[in-house]
Amino acid sequence: MITLQSYLTLSAILFAIGIIGIIINRKNIIILMCTELILLAVNFNFVAFSYFNQDYTGQIFVFFILTVAAAEAAIGLAILVALYRNNESIDVDKLTALKE
Amino acid sequence: MLTEIIFYTFSSILICAALGVVFFRNPVYSAVSLILSFITSAFLWFLLESEFLALILILVYVGAVMVLFLFVIMMLNINEQKANSRFNTIAPLALLIGLVILIEMITLIWLKSNQFTETLVIIASPSSENNTLELGKLLFSEYIYPFEIAGFILLLGIIISISLTLRSKKGKKTQIISKQIDIDPSKRVQLVDLERGDN
Repeated sequence: MITLQSYLTLSAILFAIGIIGIIINRKNIIILMCTELILLAVNFNFVAFSYFNQDYTGQIFVFFILTVAAAEAAIGLAILVALYRNNESIDVDKLTALKE
Repeated sequence: MLTEIIFYTFSSILICAALGVVFFRNPVYSAVSLILSFITSAFLWFLLESEFLALILILVYVGAVMVLFLFVIMMLNINEQKANSRFNTIAPLALLIGLVILIEMITLIWLKSNQFTETLVIIASPSSENNTLELGKLLFSEYIYPFEIAGFILLLGIIISISLTLRSKKGKKTQIISKQIDIDPSKRVQLVDLERGDN
């Protein structure tokens, strides 16, 4: 019998991996991919609660999260392309224009 | 019993794929690993009887978003990370933060599990036979305004990403819209009286 706790634990592990990835990869496109991983973990929670409570509202929420995440990925990649055009790199540590 | 085997196999594949996303050096490998993790989680969502969302996850994410990622990786021409010094200094801190988050969440989940199980009565309700039908009914009746807003957000995404990446050429000839609007019609059109029938 698979309980809700196993699904929640799985999603917690995914979330932690996403956080670690965001902190480690600072000069790469992998930051955006880790954001997608974190959103996937959140969606896992919603789907699991929706199944174990027999309530479709959670799945509706997942639908909206997928929509917003797709728009967010498109905009984030567009920002990366504009950044690369100006800076010749997408290193986050080099974005110090506002600091000076 | 079969469900347990499927669950544990797929969740270990999912965790390995997620670790691959983080620790591969080549961004293309990371993207492919992320595709694998999306497909595996779609299979796990099939176990949770949310078939529509599982298929949407494969279609939207694997079919659209990840292809977008691969295109951007191809366009940006990012080299594999050369300097490892930064990576090594920040990695222990990242692992520490991740472990703390993980331990906190897991203890919370397992401590409070008795509260979850009170509500956890799985009823094989007859309405759960057609997942897509039920979702569609809810989406187009109760959640119609959020649905419209979601469509508007997608429109915003199109406009923002095009306007961010659009690059206009230098010697391009275009209309100057402000001058066009500013024009005074009385100066443009000259009315001439024509005398008719004199000849």
